[in-house]
Amino acid sequence: MTLKRTMTLLLAGAAVTLSASVAMAQTNLRVFVSSQHRPDVWRKAFDMYEAKNANVKVMIETGGNTSEQQAQYLNTVMTAKDSSLDIMILDVIRPAQYAAAGWTVPFNDVLGSDAASAMKRYLPAYAEANTVDGKVVALPAFADAMFLYYRKDLLEKHGIQPPQTWDELAAAAKKVADAEKDPNLQGLSFQGKAIEGAVCTFLLPYWSMGKQLVSDGKLSFDKEAAVKSLKLWKDFVDQGVAKKNIAEVATDDTRKEFQAGNVLFAVNWSYAWGQFQGAESAVKNKVGVVKLPAVQGGQPASCLGGWEWGVSAYSNNKTEAQKFVQYLSSPEISEFMAINAALLPQFPEVYTDADVTKAVPWFANAKPVVETAKARPVTPRYNEVSEIIRTTVNGVLAGQSTPEEGATQMEGRLRRVLR
Amino acid sequence: MATASETTLVTTHNESGTKWWTRFLDPSERTLAVLLLMPAALLLTLIIVYPVCRLIWTSFQNLSLTSGVPATFAGLENYTLVLEDPVFWETTWNTVLITLITVPGALLVGLALALMANLPFNVKWPVRLSLLIPWALPLSFAGLIFAWFFHSEYGVVNDVLRRLGIEGVIWFNSANWAFAAICLTIIWKTSSFMALIILAGLQTIPRSLYEAADVDGAGRLRQFFEITLPLLKPAIVVALIFRTITALQTFDIPFTMTRGGPGTSTSTLAMYIHQNTVDFLDLGYGSALAVVMFALSMGVTAVYLRMIRAKG
Repeated sequence: MTLKRTMTLLLAGAAVTLSASVAMAQTNLRVFVSSQHRPDVWRKAFDMYEAKNANVKVMIETGGNTSEQQAQYLNTVMTAKDSSLDIMILDVIRPAQYAAAGWTVPFNDVLGSDAASAMKRYLPAYAEANTVDGKVVALPAFADAMFLYYRKDLLEKHGIQPPQTWDELAAAAKKVADAEKDPNLQGLSFQGKAIEGAVCTFLLPYWSMGKQLVSDGKLSFDKEAAVKSLKLWKDFVDQGVAKKNIAEVATDDTRKEFQAGNVLFAVNWSYAWGQFQGAESAVKNKVGVVKLPAVQGGQPASCLGGWEWGVSAYSNNKTEAQKFVQYLSSPEISEFMAINAALLPQFPEVYTDADVTKAVPWFANAKPVVETAKARPVTPRYNEVSEIIRTTVNGVLAGQSTPEEGATQMEGRLRRVLR
Repeated sequence: MATASETTLVTTHNESGTKWWTRFLDPSERTLAVLLLMPAALLLTLIIVYPVCRLIWTSFQNLSLTSGVPATFAGLENYTLVLEDPVFWETTWNTVLITLITVPGALLVGLALALMANLPFNVKWPVRLSLLIPWALPLSFAGLIFAWFFHSEYGVVNDVLRRLGIEGVIWFNSANWAFAAICLTIIWKTSSFMALIILAGLQTIPRSLYEAADVDGAGRLRQFFEITLPLLKPAIVVALIFRTITALQTFDIPFTMTRGGPGTSTSTLAMYIHQNTVDFLDLGYGSALAVVMFALSMGVTAVYLRMIRAKG
């Protein structure tokens, strides 16, 4: 009996050892993909790579549904020096921070001697966001920017052109509200909850006045512009253009309420377009999208979004992972994702590609918006900058502090972080 | 017989002084005690003593993962920064306020629930089950559920108010209402824990005391204050200690309900520590904050322990 059992164990042990050595020849890559960016379509792109590279198996890990939640998860994995993740998708604001923490591997070696010219293929903003002190710390996955969505049917009905300025928007919203007399119809929806989106809420009018938050790594805070920006949003609430509880509204709330037909104008990212055209949408074929309005006498400004592929410094398969990321960050995959997932391309030429313009015609108009979109401050301490701005915006919109008080607090706290 | 001969054998070895380990075969009471305590002590060292020492050590360092520079010794710098930090004072005040409101609140509600559950119903399980459910629910679930309840447009609270003809408030738009919503949620969530401990205490009070009081002509109210409450004291103190310490560490419910908003008006000290370490990756500063919170909890525990000892 015992002999038999020993033999069985030995055989089992041998089998395990054998299968392990088979697995040695194969590389398993584990990739973190944000759940809001169509992991199902990314999976198809991964399958295409596996088909060409028999020795590589790619597994998807996904979770969280906001940029903050995903960052919290990845921060935990990285501080634990966990080797189980090889590749992770990062919000455009994070590569600089991850590089400073030593959590990602630079691509300079695999990009060849002239990494800078390799990065020139991308839209300039993405080349910049992924390069820290000459090191390419991540490669762009896709682009994004904020747009103004509007109800084409309602504007046409009341003979209104899409607004060029925020004042025009307020006037248009009032005109439609007076005529429609629909208590459920909001004039404008934007992000007032203390989330990452509220940082862009603050920056849109601020940038539109030609001001910068950070110049040459130093804080260049313009208090007057900050007060005006906070006041612009607060006035929308006070005048009834935006709803009273706007301080509760997150990005996807804006999307859902617009999709339900309860919003005239909405500030949102490009992902909302696909959802508005979906089967469950009450506003299918009634939606227009244009660049965001400007402040009176200013230039229109949009917030640069987009996500990047980074390779973990704790990965055991860095070389294979970098090769895979180079494939993911190629014009072919960019085109594939534009057509199948409506993700904006990070390469300028993909916007005008015939197949892309056929699948997503509005991308042709999106290109100038993405090209002129401004990047949020690139700093390793971005999380602190973000927290200061979004809690202030949230507090002002909730009426906890006046725009003047908010701007003063913001300046004081930002000075401590960005000395 | 066998044991006796083994003992002799061991003793012989010991006398010859060769095998040191043989004394573990027949340990003295003292050695046995040390041996039996060893696993627990090792485990505690590993999961409590080591991390606490490491935390204190980190709190004296400039260690921020976003700075890109290695850690340097900072002395008391982090602690000076803590004392000068207005957000630290705000979050500490919020934490203390939550403790002062929710601990007595949960005690009163819990006591009432326990007395109700102890009534001589024929069927006891529905009452006891409804006591257990809030206790068994994870804190963050409770927070998320109540965040929906208090949502100004889609929430059930404002809906009920509207049906009663009262204009609801935008709960999370005002520091005071948001704070009230959080406190109500915490009281709902924690009073069942209080009730469970008090119920256990109630069941240890002998019936005969009440029967004797009936004979002596004491009313129900008198019975409650003269018999029930004094005999419940040990159970109440235990419940208070547990609840106060967890109240000082309040994190999940405000985190899931308001994320500390509007502004930072409902943020707690534990949330601020989490923000500095996990979000800002400033481990030195975060550790200093955690040491301060640790000291605060230790202080409160010491006060309670002294109270118990004085009673004993």
